[in-house]
Amino acid sequence: MRGDGRSRRVAVVPDAYLNPAPGAADRLAELAATGWGVVALPHPGLPPGVEAAMLAGIADQLAAFLDDGYEVALAAPDDPIARRLAELLAADGRGIAASVAP
Amino acid sequence: MRTVCYLAHCLLNANAKVDEGARCAGVSAPVVGLLREQGATIRQMPCPELAFGGTRRFWAVREQYDTPAFRGHCRALAEPVAEQIRADLAAGARVVIIGIDGSPSMGVELTAADESWGGRPDKPRDEDYPVTPGAGLFTETLLGLLGEAVASVRAVGVGQDLFDYDEERELARLGRVVAGEGGPDAR
Repeated sequence: MRGDGRSRRVAVVPDAYLNPAPGAADRLAELAATGWGVVALPHPGLPPGVEAAMLAGIADQLAAFLDDGYEVALAAPDDPIARRLAELLAADGRGIAASVAP
Repeated sequence: MRTVCYLAHCLLNANAKVDEGARCAGVSAPVVGLLREQGATIRQMPCPELAFGGTRRFWAVREQYDTPAFRGHCRALAEPVAEQIRADLAAGARVVIIGIDGSPSMGVELTAADESWGGRPDKPRDEDYPVTPGAGLFTETLLGLLGEAVASVRAVGVGQDLFDYDEERELARLGRVVAGEGGPDAR
């Protein structure tokens, strides 16, 4: 038995966190070092239908975390895809924090 | 040639695992580090069990999830992933699907399966978790949706849901596949 090792902290991150540009800061490593798990937003440029299907799935997964009291936060709240996700969650009456504190 | 890796959700977010299933607090840093070293593009797949069973779900085997409703749920989640994979292949990328061996949904080479599981939870020991060769339900659905394109895709499971998980061994297997050096070594 390993006990419950889950951090109960989930950061919603843009694709650039997973795939940083050359020379850019490794934000994913920073989040990993402080125990955050991450849920990645769809990468920019997807067909609208594909992005919408991805966001719907992500919203359902985040609802499971939010409803059970996990800390869920947007790492980049001004990202346009993050805003669309926040709107989707708000339509179901769920709010999401707009900052990731260490 | 660009390599695009589609990771099981929990490799980036262990919060999606069942209680006592997490191998780390959040991000599987060694897996991410390996992919970064190899210059791979990282994509995260959805966790089919999380939205379906929530964070309080019990451990389960494939037979318990194998219902039309769960298969439909997997299909809805897998369709946009398959679309992206097809687009990556069309753009000339190598695609590697990285699942979780031992998982009833995300297994690639090994999945949890046992006809006897059900009813009162009575399997308290780690070694009671039954694993058998084969893919999990989401992996099976995703590979099916890819149709003929599946022949152009590599799939490998990281054995985080195996009783005898050995991180060094699993990273070596993963690295071999991501580097395009053939199939994963036998466990």
